[in-house]
Amino acid sequence: MLILDNISLFQFRNYHSGSFSFSKNIIGFCGKNGSGKTNLLDAIYYLCFTKSYFNKPDAQNTSHGKTGFRIEGNLKKSGTPYKVVCVVRENGKKEFSVDGEIYTKFAAHIGRFPCVMIAPDDVAIITEASDERRKFIDYTISQLDLDYLHNLINYNKLLQQRNSLLKQAAEQGKMDETLFQVISAQLIQNGNLIFKKRQEFCRDFIPMIIALYNEIAKSNEKLSINYISNLESNTFENILKENRTKDLALQRTTKGVHRDDLEFKIDGGSFKSLASQGQRKSLLFALKLAEYETLLQHKGFPPLMLLDDIFEKLDEDRMHNLLSRVCVRNQGQIFITDTHCDRLNEALKRLDVQYQLFNL
Amino acid sequence: MQISSSLLENAVNEFARLPGIGKKTALRLVLHLIKQNPEEVQRFSETIDKMKKEIAFCTVCHNISDSAVCNICSNPSRKKETICVVENIRDVIAIESTQQFSGLYHVLGGIISPLDGVGPDQLNIETLVNRVQQGSIHEIIFALSPNIQGDTTIYYIQKKLQPYNVVITTIARGISFGGELEYADELTLGRSLQNRMPVEKYVSH
Repeated sequence: MLILDNISLFQFRNYHSGSFSFSKNIIGFCGKNGSGKTNLLDAIYYLCFTKSYFNKPDAQNTSHGKTGFRIEGNLKKSGTPYKVVCVVRENGKKEFSVDGEIYTKFAAHIGRFPCVMIAPDDVAIITEASDERRKFIDYTISQLDLDYLHNLINYNKLLQQRNSLLKQAAEQGKMDETLFQVISAQLIQNGNLIFKKRQEFCRDFIPMIIALYNEIAKSNEKLSINYISNLESNTFENILKENRTKDLALQRTTKGVHRDDLEFKIDGGSFKSLASQGQRKSLLFALKLAEYETLLQHKGFPPLMLLDDIFEKLDEDRMHNLLSRVCVRNQGQIFITDTHCDRLNEALKRLDVQYQLFNL
Repeated sequence: MQISSSLLENAVNEFARLPGIGKKTALRLVLHLIKQNPEEVQRFSETIDKMKKEIAFCTVCHNISDSAVCNICSNPSRKKETICVVENIRDVIAIESTQQFSGLYHVLGGIISPLDGVGPDQLNIETLVNRVQQGSIHEIIFALSPNIQGDTTIYYIQKKLQPYNVVITTIARGISFGGELEYADELTLGRSLQNRMPVEKYVSH
């Protein structure tokens, strides 16, 4: 069981200072646009991931005209209390601590308090470029496997080193061949581990997404999902060798696991171009629920669920199914926002479980 | 800060340029010097002047030195067959303080990171290869920071040393002394398990 008991904010976005205590498993936040519903969810996300869900730099999360902010939350995991504090100081330096112990590496925190967020813009996972899908997969695996996150961080650093070497080669007209081989070999080693882990992960994850999609969409169209990587057909070593001339010309590494993708197809055609708005929503929820289920299976307790403004996205029945799956069947804690207090109240009442509603 | 004398102000500004010294500390130091005898202050400035003018880098290992060859390299009781490769002079001081190493050093002057504009050419790698080439070296011990750039540097030099008959090792990575197991980070603990060692080799002091 993972429960957030309370959260206090200081100079975080529109909260000069605020404190919220939660005693139930379902918590609703309602209020007008700009009242701070999403900010509150993002503050909870901060406690789990040490950063904002919306890719905003820390400095932009401070109240207007102020410097520095603080988020403090008391969480309970299987009955054991943890105090998680995130402070961004006046000089922009971030400190993150659990029970007073400050992390030297933020990566070590990822996965300790798992959490899944669904926000309106997440449809980008389906419609935008492949980096959105890699990010989605990486965030999910990183919460399960700390080694994977380390490999990923190393891979990205080595990729930058290799690209900078390629750039220097173009500028200076010569290349230190030994160094290029050494860095490529390090890249290959990390890339292979990432590829293996992603492949292994997708073997279970993809069927789960498809099953959830069919359950949510309740239709007959055939959804298929494929993990696509340059490394499938050839070894990474050979790929880098074959693309050497191209890499040198373009001054960057053109092939590798940093180009991996998930391919969605519906009845054999591209999902992106064929699917309706409704089908996109269904797929988005299937993806996020699959993340939720995977975390639940591996951790043995449900992650926190943060739902931002999703009433616009789902009809009443689907909404009811989603809520009952998360809070009734799995006993997980869920935070949900909506602009209409009455609508949110009605939806929560229908579930027949105790809930808390905050009017912001 | 309002300072009435420009002589004083200049001195304060010079001290404040040192790392870790702010204006207030600089003022305290300067006021202290003003109170001293002229001879003492002269000795102070002459020592620093002499240090900067006469300091040399060892032509063998690039360690800091009073003469062309440093006193570690010229010490006859040190084992000439073992070289410990370090990033900078501070690492030499750290390893010397352990009193566990009786070989020679080689100071690279940095680690390879093309992203920061540091390539092998900027480092003292060629002189290391030359030392090995001369043939009397049996073992090279790498004592570099355990991160990716450190690894890149080790692999690179290892490749350069491949033609020569020399043993290449690196310092152990794992749980620190006096550390509690439960507070060790998972990566370190995992590595320590992978690279575990037989108990008979585990010499405690």
